[in-house]
Amino acid sequence: MAEPAEKRRGIGVELTGLRKIYNGQAVLRGVDLVVEAGELLAIVGQSGTGKSVLLRQIIGLEHPDAGRITVGGIELARYRATPPEEKPFRVAMVFQNAALLASLTVAENVGLRLRERGHQNAAEIAAITRRVLEQVELAGTETKLPSELSGGMRKRVAIARALAIDPELILYDEPTADLDPILTEQIGQLIARIRDARGTTQIVVTHNLSLARAIADRIAVLAEGRIAECVTPAELPHARHPLTREFLRASALEA
Amino acid sequence: MAVEALPRSPRTNPFTRIGATILDVLQVLGEATSLFFAAVRSISAAPPDRQRMVVQMVRVGTDTLWIGALLSLFVGMVLVVQAAEQVRDVTQDILGPIVGLAMTKELGPVLMAFLLAGRAGSAMAAELGSMTVYDEINALRTMDIDPVRFLVVPRFLAATIALPVLILYADFIGVWGGAAVVALDPAITIPVNTYFDRMLEWVHFSDFVVGMLKGTIFGMVASIVPCTFGLRTRGGTEGIATSTTAAVVWSFILILVFDFLIVRITFALD
Repeated sequence: MAEPAEKRRGIGVELTGLRKIYNGQAVLRGVDLVVEAGELLAIVGQSGTGKSVLLRQIIGLEHPDAGRITVGGIELARYRATPPEEKPFRVAMVFQNAALLASLTVAENVGLRLRERGHQNAAEIAAITRRVLEQVELAGTETKLPSELSGGMRKRVAIARALAIDPELILYDEPTADLDPILTEQIGQLIARIRDARGTTQIVVTHNLSLARAIADRIAVLAEGRIAECVTPAELPHARHPLTREFLRASALEA
Repeated sequence: MAVEALPRSPRTNPFTRIGATILDVLQVLGEATSLFFAAVRSISAAPPDRQRMVVQMVRVGTDTLWIGALLSLFVGMVLVVQAAEQVRDVTQDILGPIVGLAMTKELGPVLMAFLLAGRAGSAMAAELGSMTVYDEINALRTMDIDPVRFLVVPRFLAATIALPVLILYADFIGVWGGAAVVALDPAITIPVNTYFDRMLEWVHFSDFVVGMLKGTIFGMVASIVPCTFGLRTRGGTEGIATSTTAAVVWSFILILVFDFLIVRITFALD
């Protein structure tokens, strides 16, 4: 789908020699990865191979023991140290369990960043909240608490919360974990729509290869702390790495 | 079949265990001190969100008001019964000063601080612990929202402001609990007027100031310690339970440590 030029507003991400060690055990052993601006990249790998750790390094929640991360051409440390109002672009993350604040309503969760750090007035925040909730097909849920929503709805509210700040980069940590196939497909379509409509760079960590094939521009396979292979969905059937082949076999069995 | 001895874990060595415990204690104290200064810095940098603070004050109030009243009432009553027995052969005129001084300077502040730490403090530790474990704190960080300003400051201010007020309330009810026993217990021979007259002679404004000072400091302890444990929670539901229990125990211990220090310093200044 061809996007209007003004909507292509993602930023590139570059990881070089990224290493992370926990309790003497190397989880990331030198990750090298380039994500192009506006690209939707899926990172697949077995559970416990450091996919979520990788995302936490990119968003700056954890610091790598070695290696370099640049987002939008800026060193991550410098980006994180920049005051929020002076940041040249915004990065959002959708956590595996949605991480909505339980004591806040859907609208308060979605508008939280704008209310705390933005310059919009209450009416503008309400309008943005309404708009992004419509985008994730959750209009009318503004006054509900997260506990009143299903797992799939909570995930979509978390995506709406990310969209509310109009980010140039969105990171998803297992966005379809614990969801049934229908909800998984809906979330996948939503992520693909965000790429098509806004041109936002998106990195999706998942162990669901079918989802990755359906929505991603490229699929990176994380194995033994390194990117073992990075291919397009069309190239996937010809992938050579044993883990990718194993994923393909398991995925075919599931189908 | 011969059973090989398992290698001893480094922590089974008593000296290592003592050393590790000391380090753990120092780490908790360091984190709590650091959080306290972060909260103070945040308050001095910009005015805190009043709405969130009021919400927390209401929570602190609803958690402690009724049980605090019951506790103070019975403490006042027990003080009179106990003291009356001890001073039976001397004079019961001093029952009023005993209840008044004990409530304003010691029992009111400590009891209400324990109650606040046990009820509201444990809720703070559990709530922040749950938010830490389920990535809500991380979500705030990714949105450039400072968790100290957003979560800790309202709880810190609410407890610090509410506790002195709760102590006054406890003092009042405790004194009247004592008065009720003086009026109704046939073993007590002094009239209620004497109980209050003697109390007013002995209890001075400075005694209330000491009580309020204790309340302010205990309020800080009973909020910062639970918030510290909440934010350092690891390991799912079990971690939340462990943090909550540790937060209450640590709050009790530190309240008593600060109580001792305040008493010692105020006596030294007199």
